[in-house]
Amino acid sequence: MEKTINLKLKIWRQSAPDAKGELVSYDVKDVSTEMSFLEMLDVLNEDLTKKGEEPVEFDSDCREGICGTCGIVINGIPHGQEKATTVCQLHMRHFKDGETVLLEPWRAKAFPVIKDLVVDRSAFDRIISAGGYISTKTGSAPDANIIAVPKPDAELAMDMAACIGCGACVAACPNASASLFVGAKISQLSLLPQGRIEAATRVQNMVAQMDAELFGACTNIQECEAVCPKEISISAIARMRREYVKAAFK
Amino acid sequence: MRFSQIFSSTIGKKLILGITGLMWATFIVIHLLENLLLLNPDPDPFNKWAHTLISLGPIIYVAELVLVLSLLFHIFYAVRVTWENNRARSISYVKTAGKGGVSKRGLATSSMIYTGILLFIFIVLHLLHFKYGSYYEYEVGGVVIRDLYRTVHEYFSDPLNVTYYIVMMSLLGLHLSHGVWSAFQSLGLNGPRFTPLMTKIGTGIAVFVAIGFIGIPLFVLLTGGAA
Amino acid sequence: MTLDSKIPAGPLAQKWDAHKAAIKLVNPKNKRKYTVLIVGTGLAGASAAASLAELGYHVKSFCIQDSPRRAHSIAAQGGINAAKNYPNDNDSIWRLFYDTIKGGDYRSREANVYRLAQVSNNIIDQATAQGVPFAREYGGNLANRSFGGAQVSRTFYARGQTGQQLLLGAYSALMRQVDAGMVEIFSRREMLDLVVEDGHARGIVVRNLVTGELESYAGHAVVLATGGYGNVFYLSTNAVNSNATAAWRSHKRGAMYANPCYTQIHPTCIPVSGDHQSKLTLMSESLRNDGRVWVPRKKGDKRPPAEIPDEERYYYLEERYPSFGNLVPRDVASRNAKQVCDEGLGVGTTGLAVYLDFADAIREFGEQTIRERYGNLFDMYEKITDENPYKVPMRIYPAVHYTMGGLWVDYNLMSTIPGLYVAGEANFSDHGANRLGASALMQGLADGYFVLPYTINDYLAGVKADKLHTESDAFKEARNAVTERVNKLLAVKGKKTVREIHRELGHIMWNYVGMARNKEGLEKALQEIPKLREEFWSNINVTGSDKNLNKALEQAGRLADYLELGELMARDALNREESCGGHFREESQTEEGEAKRNDEEFSYVAAWEYLGEDKIQALHKEELVFENVKLTQRSYK
Repeated sequence: MEKTINLKLKIWRQSAPDAKGELVSYDVKDVSTEMSFLEMLDVLNEDLTKKGEEPVEFDSDCREGICGTCGIVINGIPHGQEKATTVCQLHMRHFKDGETVLLEPWRAKAFPVIKDLVVDRSAFDRIISAGGYISTKTGSAPDANIIAVPKPDAELAMDMAACIGCGACVAACPNASASLFVGAKISQLSLLPQGRIEAATRVQNMVAQMDAELFGACTNIQECEAVCPKEISISAIARMRREYVKAAFK
Repeated sequence: MRFSQIFSSTIGKKLILGITGLMWATFIVIHLLENLLLLNPDPDPFNKWAHTLISLGPIIYVAELVLVLSLLFHIFYAVRVTWENNRARSISYVKTAGKGGVSKRGLATSSMIYTGILLFIFIVLHLLHFKYGSYYEYEVGGVVIRDLYRTVHEYFSDPLNVTYYIVMMSLLGLHLSHGVWSAFQSLGLNGPRFTPLMTKIGTGIAVFVAIGFIGIPLFVLLTGGAA
Repeated sequence: MTLDSKIPAGPLAQKWDAHKAAIKLVNPKNKRKYTVLIVGTGLAGASAAASLAELGYHVKSFCIQDSPRRAHSIAAQGGINAAKNYPNDNDSIWRLFYDTIKGGDYRSREANVYRLAQVSNNIIDQATAQGVPFAREYGGNLANRSFGGAQVSRTFYARGQTGQQLLLGAYSALMRQVDAGMVEIFSRREMLDLVVEDGHARGIVVRNLVTGELESYAGHAVVLATGGYGNVFYLSTNAVNSNATAAWRSHKRGAMYANPCYTQIHPTCIPVSGDHQSKLTLMSESLRNDGRVWVPRKKGDKRPPAEIPDEERYYYLEERYPSFGNLVPRDVASRNAKQVCDEGLGVGTTGLAVYLDFADAIREFGEQTIRERYGNLFDMYEKITDENPYKVPMRIYPAVHYTMGGLWVDYNLMSTIPGLYVAGEANFSDHGANRLGASALMQGLADGYFVLPYTINDYLAGVKADKLHTESDAFKEARNAVTERVNKLLAVKGKKTVREIHRELGHIMWNYVGMARNKEGLEKALQEIPKLREEFWSNINVTGSDKNLNKALEQAGRLADYLELGELMARDALNREESCGGHFREESQTEEGEAKRNDEEFSYVAAWEYLGEDKIQALHKEELVFENVKLTQRSYK
């Protein structure tokens, strides 16, 4: 049932990419436990606006956990403590009255802060453009049923394709590695016969771009899988490595 | 892709770490099995086995070279990867917390570079203490061979040395508890049945190695050292 | 201005082929001399950008999100229709065409809808070739399911994330062209004006949402694929950044707005929990395949649902529509939910919800089967409401979901401004007064992959591939207009926040221009909205500056446009004195309370022309001609 709680928020405020940031404390009162975390921030921003202060900037769009836009590190955990949840789907009923909650942006050299809790994740787009596709021209596709795909492969490809590109894997990884994101895309495409044709060049180019963006190396800690809102398995990373080794012998 | 490119990518570096790590893990397990002969009150079997190895001549030199080189590669790439991984997050969080669940984040994963460096120092000292340590000879069956058994037993009659070994071998266990399964994952060897098994085997090896290498010095100390 | 739909002559089934054979081509060597600006990177925008770049055009692609992959097409769950007839259940292009035009309550063009059905099959082929992991059968072939009460299984799906997978497919095609140097991506850019030179669309003015700077881009053609305007209602299933600004700015530059009153209210959404609510979450209507909809028979019955015996439950859809029951179309299901709640029978703390009960299905098929069918939806419901739908019935309520209206386009998808094309939900074209389930994805991709890449050549072939510039008077004027507006928003420094006024607009729209409309209410809306608009411009409070990231400023600009668009929606709804599809006028219903069309007087597309500030838009009518289908009254009894 609905009740209300009071919280103390400590939020990372940073006015511009090159500005110095700091944690600022805010008290939020009478937060309905039915609210989502972002709705709680909406209410805080309403109050700040009314006081003539600048609202806290944070990214969000679909607010149903699929677009991958939102992302806040809450008390040290990207997207907060609930399992398989994006921050837009995290509800206030999981917080205790009087709790202090720390909000920080994704931290990675490849994800520079734009303002407050908003970061630039265009590195992910550059990795995809390096090879995260199957080169097929519009109109040139044969009938969809010409190539049968074993159901288990299709299902596994779908598990991998569920990635929403939020970047929580990078944010959570002690090495700020993008391996789960890249591995998921490489796995999805290499599991399908349509994607096998370019498998070698794809993995080489995507990994090269990933490295050029200065993401760290995966050291198999599996924190990425723990925070992934879509619970993508690190078997994706192993598959990427297999594809990489295969490509090296081509 | 040129084959050499492998060595400059994040994946390639981890491949090398995995391969060299597994080589050392294998060596360590064999080394422990050999050293179990130290538990034998009769020094002869141990010393004879050591002598046999030494007598292999060029083969043993090649093996030693491979071990030394793989260790150097392991260290070089570990330092490099750690440095690059630190660079990948130039501004750190005010607070970090593990999410738990499947995450393996913990003492072992966060201390790999430190346990690794300490173990490297340990290996150098270990060689100085034993391989290049006090040299005794005696005659067995008409052949004069080195009494390494005595060197070891002398060394472990000092409780300080034993304590040092307990600490270092705990660190080795810690290193291996993440290192072994992680090496397989780094090589891309992962499967729904294989990986859970590998993590168990990895932990098993870590525990076995740590207990074994702690047990030997303790045994020697408690049974009074070189008789 | 006269509306020429440019529908090709000839038999329905041959119109598109005949048209393709007749339109002009652009020499491959010349294509690279043309620049096309594409605003929006959802299904329509991304697929158009990728396809035009593949043809050799230079494409500039703009989106408000931080990445093109995040457009709201991503949230579509259920699936995509195509007339493949893989299940051998006698589906065909004709049947898909017929169902779509009938589902749209005969308020769309035959030729457009037929073309949509024709190219639907190519979309499935294209997506599969891109690596979209559609559901498959054990033999490895693609699986189909029946959706939204269709009598054939023609819906392809990728779990409950079909929109996501199709969008990522289009996005990957787009990013391939970025790699090839044919597309430039401009993310975190919001189009704030259209530049029209000599009567032709020649460019856009965008705000860089990070630096706040205004940037101008020129092109030989402009494509808007900016989605729908459901957020006029404040609460909808749209993303919080989905907006109508690009379309509305273009309307003010001369593009006519068609059928703005056609909005679709989706019946199975999670109800509002309080004033703090920022958006509504939809759950796939496939839930109605097994869930039973009911409310207590007694007003104000506050007993927990399990304690209400069967005879005291009102299964109103099953009682009122014995043959379709819980599977009546979206508009009928939504309207009935509103009716029972208006009668005081609603449940939950707000009384604005009905039960969707799976107890019988769980008894019949077992919890495991239900979990396999709807597990992800049940999890999502529990995450939001903290209630376990395996144990207690879900509470659902209708929510604004999709807008069938949009900028008027001809058969080529060109608006009334030459050189301005509109694709996807942003145009009005294919769904008539009501969209069928799994048809939005189909239309967006049809427009982008298979229509625009043909029809745009016809226009560009007649445009000189001259050097582009952004310093003409038209560009300067547009930039000045945008600057002035931004400054005006920041200068008000009033007392109300953007959300407060938006919420008020939402109340007006929902109460008077919502699921059921009448003359009195619409006239009231036409009085209230201008008043609210006045309050907005005199009492809005936008903090911060225009020199950096400022979301409140972005939202304020969008709200200013909603305050004008909302009025046009009410005006259009008032003008259309009939009920059709999602537009229900209480004055026009059958004795059984069903929507009653008036084909004699209203079988037309209402296209509104902007005449200037504070002037009422002029209505233009494009008569709809039906040569191939017989108009019938829908009945689901």
